[in-house]
Amino acid sequence: MEPAYSDCRGAEAVLNLQPSASVTISYHPLFGSHDDIMLLELDEKFLPDILNQRVVVRGQPDEDAVLCTQSKTYAIKFVGTSNSVFLIPPSDSEFLDSTIDCDQKDQSQLAVASVIKVAPGFMELVEVGPKLDKLKYLLFKNPYSSEEDIEMEDLGDIERGLYKWDDLVERIQASDDELRSGLQALSALEIDGYWRVVDEKYMDMMLRMLLHDSVLNDWSLDALDQDTVVQVLQSDGYPCKLAEHCLCFFGQKLNESVDRSCVWKLDERKVCVHIAKQILRGGKRKMESFIEEWKQKIPEGMQVSFNMLEGEVLTERLGVDTWVQAFSLSSLPSTPAERFSILFKERQKWEWKDLQPYIRDLTAPGLSSEGLLLKYTRRTQPKADAEPVFSAR
Amino acid sequence: MQIQIKCSCFGEKCQEWAIVELQGEVEVQPDFQHQIQSLPIGQLCRPSSQETYTFTVGYHELTGTKMSLKKPMLVLKKGKKSSDPVGGVDLEVIGVIRNRILFKTRPKALISKPQTSVKGRAKAADAMVPN
Repeated sequence: MEPAYSDCRGAEAVLNLQPSASVTISYHPLFGSHDDIMLLELDEKFLPDILNQRVVVRGQPDEDAVLCTQSKTYAIKFVGTSNSVFLIPPSDSEFLDSTIDCDQKDQSQLAVASVIKVAPGFMELVEVGPKLDKLKYLLFKNPYSSEEDIEMEDLGDIERGLYKWDDLVERIQASDDELRSGLQALSALEIDGYWRVVDEKYMDMMLRMLLHDSVLNDWSLDALDQDTVVQVLQSDGYPCKLAEHCLCFFGQKLNESVDRSCVWKLDERKVCVHIAKQILRGGKRKMESFIEEWKQKIPEGMQVSFNMLEGEVLTERLGVDTWVQAFSLSSLPSTPAERFSILFKERQKWEWKDLQPYIRDLTAPGLSSEGLLLKYTRRTQPKADAEPVFSAR
Repeated sequence: MQIQIKCSCFGEKCQEWAIVELQGEVEVQPDFQHQIQSLPIGQLCRPSSQETYTFTVGYHELTGTKMSLKKPMLVLKKGKKSSDPVGGVDLEVIGVIRNRILFKTRPKALISKPQTSVKGRAKAADAMVPN
């Protein structure tokens, strides 16, 4: 008898079972627990990404693995079942070597579909936000500063807190797009192949040098020519890349031109906020003296407004005085639970107008901002017409 | 650590696997517990042109239906990365599942066939071999 293919059919025999026909379901000759074979449930829309190998699983051994597409991050959850899920591979599944199976059974005329394993469940994907707090932590271990440590040069990159793009994707649980926008949000730049944040003091020195140069050279802060500025800052000792970064950090590009030099306008808000933060580095200040110093330190032509400091400072009334202290949104963790915990450590009670700037960027899949407030805060309203106050749950 | 999900289908159709799912467990007779490889479990029949199926396991008959999954499932195989001696891991897509035949009713006893019921499934397995 010739070893007919039909003797040994796998999944096809089950899926294409004709009316009035039957197929024997048996255990596969290689039946076992096969822990290396897993099921992953996913949306149809991911299939093209999977087929084109654009999907990766990211995570350190101590982290729960996430699956990343080009733009999004998904947690991988295991869903168990108490049913018996018989998993039947196709007959010509090469990795299972089922041709041996056929030869052994070629005496039989019956159609057989073999079960390779009983699946204990499957994995499903749940969209989650990227885990970018770790990115902040890694990059701030060694910010770029004027005293780049030469002594540490014997150490490896990672020990020195220097990360290339490939080192970051190995460590950060985020999709490529999310990682890129995370780096942008931290104002990180690539220096000699490493992604770095620049030390605030260094940025401060560069800004002051830029303002100084603009007075000397009679530049308008509303129309700074990139080539000229970079050239002058370079002669002051700042690398070209950092000089460009300074314009990027404190300014807005006014034109997009390939053949001509770009023109930048210093951003009033960015510059004023930076200067305010520098003033408050020393600790809390009385409102009047803070405002006075702030106004005096900003470049000519710029106007301060206290609204600019939303999400950067907190005010507090002590007796007759109002005090200002630095409390920067960008220093806070991005997961809701940790964020609220820090906020309530800072203050037990928050008025809505103070709280709002520190939570409006929070996102949690499936939860609205009202939902977040309900979950993490207790809302009290002393009187019907009074402002609501939020405290910890 | 990064694991790329590989797929050798390269845009072609992934091989489709099948699921036969039933509530509870299939118990193997004690004599065969340690050598269940190649052992027949039961007979899957499609009595009519409808997507209704019966699955006869020993002297039990289950009735179920074929249904397409709301979302497809990928069959992934984890393997050691051959190029990486440190123990990197590979994940390869080896198939896709779009349908399952689900038996969610209680089994019906086939009392009209006393002989099969006495011999049980394991005997049915023996019976197949001589043919």
